[in-house]
Amino acid sequence: MQKKKWMPFLLLLPALAIMFFLMIFPVFWNITISLHDVKTTNINDVWPFVGFQNWVKIFQDEYFLQSLKVTLFFVLGSVFFQIFIGFLIARILIERVWGTKFFRVLFMLPWLLSATIVGFSWQWMYNDYFGLINGMLMRLGMQPVNWISDPNMALISLLIANIWFGTPFSILFQESSLLTIDRSLYEAAKIDGANSFQSFFNITLPLLAPFLGINLILTSMWSVNLFDLQLVLTGGGPLMSTTTSSLYMYKQGFEQGNLSIGATIGLVLLIINLTVSFLYLRALRGEEA
Amino acid sequence: MTKKSKTIRAILFIILVIFAIYTIMPIFWVFVTSLKTPEEARSFPPTLIPKEVTFENYKLLFQDEQMMRSFLNSIIVAVPATLLCVIISALAAFAFSRYEFRGKKQLLAAVMGIFMIPITMNTIPLYLIFQRMGLLDTYTGVILAYQVLIIPLNIFILKNHFDTIPVSLEEAAALDGATTMQRFTKVIIPLSWPGLSISFIFTFRFAWNEFVLPMILISSPSKTVFQVAMYRFLGLYSIDWGLLSAAIVIGMIPILIIIIFFQRQLLQGIQAGSIKG
Amino acid sequence: MSKKVVVSFVLFVMIFSSMALAVEEVVLTGTFAAPADRWNDLIPAALEELNRRHPDMEITMEYEVLPYDDTRSKLITLTAGQTPRDLVSIDQIWLGEFAQSGFLKDITQEVNSWGRIDEFYPANIEGSKFDDKFYSIWAWTDVRVTWYWKDLLEEAGVDPEMLKTWDGYIEAYKKLAPVTMKKGILPMHLVGASHSPDMWFPYLWMNGGEILEEKDGKYYPAFYSEAGIKALTFLRDQVEAGIRPQVQHQWGQEFADKRFAVMIEGSWLLGNFPEGFDFDQIGMIPGFPVPEEGMKSSTMMGGWLLAVPSTSEHPELAWELMTIMLDPEILTPVLAKYVYLPTQKTIAEQDPYKSILESEIPFFEDLMKAVEIGEGRPNIPEYPQIAEALRIAIEEVYYGVKTPEDALRDASKKVEEILIF
Repeated sequence: MQKKKWMPFLLLLPALAIMFFLMIFPVFWNITISLHDVKTTNINDVWPFVGFQNWVKIFQDEYFLQSLKVTLFFVLGSVFFQIFIGFLIARILIERVWGTKFFRVLFMLPWLLSATIVGFSWQWMYNDYFGLINGMLMRLGMQPVNWISDPNMALISLLIANIWFGTPFSILFQESSLLTIDRSLYEAAKIDGANSFQSFFNITLPLLAPFLGINLILTSMWSVNLFDLQLVLTGGGPLMSTTTSSLYMYKQGFEQGNLSIGATIGLVLLIINLTVSFLYLRALRGEEA
Repeated sequence: MTKKSKTIRAILFIILVIFAIYTIMPIFWVFVTSLKTPEEARSFPPTLIPKEVTFENYKLLFQDEQMMRSFLNSIIVAVPATLLCVIISALAAFAFSRYEFRGKKQLLAAVMGIFMIPITMNTIPLYLIFQRMGLLDTYTGVILAYQVLIIPLNIFILKNHFDTIPVSLEEAAALDGATTMQRFTKVIIPLSWPGLSISFIFTFRFAWNEFVLPMILISSPSKTVFQVAMYRFLGLYSIDWGLLSAAIVIGMIPILIIIIFFQRQLLQGIQAGSIKG
Repeated sequence: MSKKVVVSFVLFVMIFSSMALAVEEVVLTGTFAAPADRWNDLIPAALEELNRRHPDMEITMEYEVLPYDDTRSKLITLTAGQTPRDLVSIDQIWLGEFAQSGFLKDITQEVNSWGRIDEFYPANIEGSKFDDKFYSIWAWTDVRVTWYWKDLLEEAGVDPEMLKTWDGYIEAYKKLAPVTMKKGILPMHLVGASHSPDMWFPYLWMNGGEILEEKDGKYYPAFYSEAGIKALTFLRDQVEAGIRPQVQHQWGQEFADKRFAVMIEGSWLLGNFPEGFDFDQIGMIPGFPVPEEGMKSSTMMGGWLLAVPSTSEHPELAWELMTIMLDPEILTPVLAKYVYLPTQKTIAEQDPYKSILESEIPFFEDLMKAVEIGEGRPNIPEYPQIAEALRIAIEEVYYGVKTPEDALRDASKKVEEILIF
C-alpha cells in the first residue's frame, strides 16, 4: 500500500497540538511555580526563587504525610473493590441470566454522574438525621451510625461512595475483556478434567492479565486524582481523616492561597501516577515474557 | 457455552438484584427527595416513599430562566466538544493503528502520561492561556478546553478497535484507488460504530459533567453551564435538598437518554472487544 | 424628490444616529457569592438609580453568583489573570489577602469624599480597611447568638437564664437531654463543621484573649494564653458532658426544624422559618454563654464586603453603584427580606429604616445589642491558614486527641511559622 511518510504526522497533528498546547504548558507553569514561592498575595509581583524548598517542605508537613497515608488506603481500597466487584458482576452478566440487558444499563448509572453529584447524593444518604441509611437503621430499631461525622468511620464511608461511583467502568471493561476469551478453551479444559477454579487460574487470569493491567492503571489514576467527591462529601474531615493528597492540594492552593505548595503536591501526584503505571506495565511485560 | 443449572442461574440473578439495589439506592433517594415538599425533605425520621408527592421543585426549575438557559448551554458546549474530540482522536488512533514510525511507542506512552495530570493543577495556567488567546467567556474556549479531558482515553479505545479491523479491507480499497482519507471514512469508520459509540458516550459523559473548567473560564450568567448553575441552590446559608435533588435528576437526563438509545451499539462495542489492553 | 425632503431626511438620520451614539452602553461585570436572590434584588434596584443619574448612559450589569469556595477560587483566578471586573463581594477574612495582592482598588479617596463612612459602626469601619486604607465597605453583617425553643426548655424545667453562664449551660444540657431525646430532638448544638473557629473566638474574646497581637508592625499568635486554654476547655467540657459536635451544618435550618432545642447560630437563622411562623415560640439571648454571671459576653460578626477590583474598566461607575447599593433607601428592604443586620448607624437607629427592620426582623433590637459586643476576625492575608490551624486544634480537642493546652500550643507554633518569614 502506498504510504506517504508524513501521513501519520498529519493525522496526529490536531490531537497532539491540542494536547501539548493545553496540557504541557500548564505542567511547565506548575513546575516553575513549584520552584518559587508563589501565593495569592504575590502572584502578580516578582516570584522569589526558592529552588526545591517547597518539595522539602511538603515532606516535612505532617498533614501532607498523613494525606499520603489516607490516599494509599483510599486508592488501594477503591482499586481492589472496584476491580473485584467489577469482575464478579461482569462474569455474571456474561452468563446472560434473565434481565441482563436491563441490569447492564442500570449498573452504568453511577459512573455517568459527576463526582460532585455523587458527593451530594451520598452526603444526603449519610446524613445523621435526615439520611436514608440512618433512617432505615432506626426503623429497624438499630442505632444510627455516624457515617461521616466519626473520624474512624468517615474514610470507610468515602470509600463506599467511591466504589459505588467507579465500579461501573470496571464492569464494562471486564465484560469486554472476558468476551475476548475463546469459550472453547474452557470446554477443552473441562474435557481434560479441570474444575472451575483451575480454569480460572490457568485460563482466565493469564488471558485477562493485560486487560486487568489497564483497568488497574486507569482506576488507580482516577482514584488518586479525585478530589471533588471528598470535598463535597466530608470537606476532608473530620480530623483530616478523609483528606487525600488530591484534596490537600486543592485546599492548599485555593483555600489557603499557597499556590506553590499546591503545584508541588500536584507534581508529586503526577509522578505517583506515572510511576504506578510504569510499574504495572513492567509487571505485565514480565508476565507475558 | 456451558449450561448452568437453573438454581445457579437463580442465585446469580439474586446477586445481580442485590447489586442493583446498592446501585440504584442513592439515585432513587435523590429522585424521591426531589418529589418531596421542603418540609418532608427534612423530616425526621426520613421517609422512603413521599407521603405527599409534589412536582413543585421541578416546576420551579423549569420556570427558572437561568437554569433552563444553563441546560441549553451545557448542550451547546458538550455536543460539539464530543464530536470534535472523537474526530481528532479517531484520526490519531488511525495513525497509531495503521502506521509505523519512529518513536511511535514512546509517543503513545507520552499520550497516556498526559492523561494522568490532575486537573486542579491546570486551572490557573489554562485560564492564563485562554486569556491570552482571547477565548475567555466563550463557548469556543470551553469546547477547546474539554478536549484535554479525554483525548488520550479515546485514542486508546479507538486504536484498539481499529486494530481489530483487518488491513486487507483497506488494501482492497486502495487497489480501487482510494486515498488515505477515503480509506478512513469509507472503510474504517463504518466498521467502527461500536467503538465510536463507546467513545462518544465516554466523551459526552466527561464533557457534560465537567464543573471546574466552565466555572473558571465562563463568567457571564448567560453562558454558564448546568453543573455550575446548579450550585446556586447551595448558598452559604441554606441547602434546599428538594430543589438540588430535582436539579440533579434533570442533570442526569441527557446522559441517561444517550445510554438507553445507544445501548445496542454499546453492547456491540463491548463484544467487539474495543476496550482492551 | 424635492430638495426639502432630502435635506430633512438627512438631518433626521444625522440627529437620530447621533442620539443613538450619544447613549453610551456600559456593561459592568461582577462576581458575587451565593445565594443569588439577594443580589438579584439589590443590583437591579441600584442599577435603576444609577441609570437615572446618568441619562446619557445605559448601564447594565452581568454578574455571576458562585458558591462560597468557588467565589474565592474565581477571585484568585481573576487576580492571576488580571481580568477586568467592576464589583465583587468578598468575605471579611479575605480582605487582607486580596488587598495585598493588588487585586482590590484603594478607595480611600473615594470614601473620604463620599462623606458617609462615619455613619458606619466603628468595628465595621475598621473591618473595611487594610493597612489603614479603605479597600472595601462592609455592607451588611450578622451575629451569632443563642437561640432556644421555649416549650422544650419549659418542659425540662430549664430557666433560659441558665444558658447565660458556662456552668448553667452544661446544667441545662443535662436537664434537657432526657426530655428532648425522647422526642427525637437533640438538646444542644455544637459546631463541628469547618467554621468551628468562628464559634470559638467569642469564648476567647470574652475572657480577654486575642487571636493575634501586633508588635512592631508584625503579627504574632496570641491565642495560646490563659484565656485561650480556658475557652477551649469549655468546648471540651461540652463534649465530655455529652454534647456532640455536628459535622454537617445546615446553617440554622436544623434549629428551625426543631432538631435541636438550643443552638448558637447566626442571625440569618430567622430566614429559615416558614411563612407565618409565630416567633414567640423561640427565645434569643444576644451573646455566647460567659464563664461567670455578670461578665460581658461576646460574639462574632460576619457578613459581606463590597469592593472594586483594581482591574475595573469603569471604576467611577462601579464605586458609584456601590454607594447606591449602600444607600439606606435601597439596602434596607434587602436587609429586611433576607435578615441581614445593618453596618450603618443610619439604618439601625434612624427612622424610617429602623422601623422597617424592626417590623420585619424579629428580635431586631436585641440582635443589634449583640452587634455592639461583636468583634470581627483579623483580615490579614494569612488568616485562612490561621483559621485552618485553629480548626485542627479544636477538632483534636473534640475527639480527645489532645488536651486544650497541647492543641493550642501546637497551633500557636504552626501560626508562628506561617506569620514569620
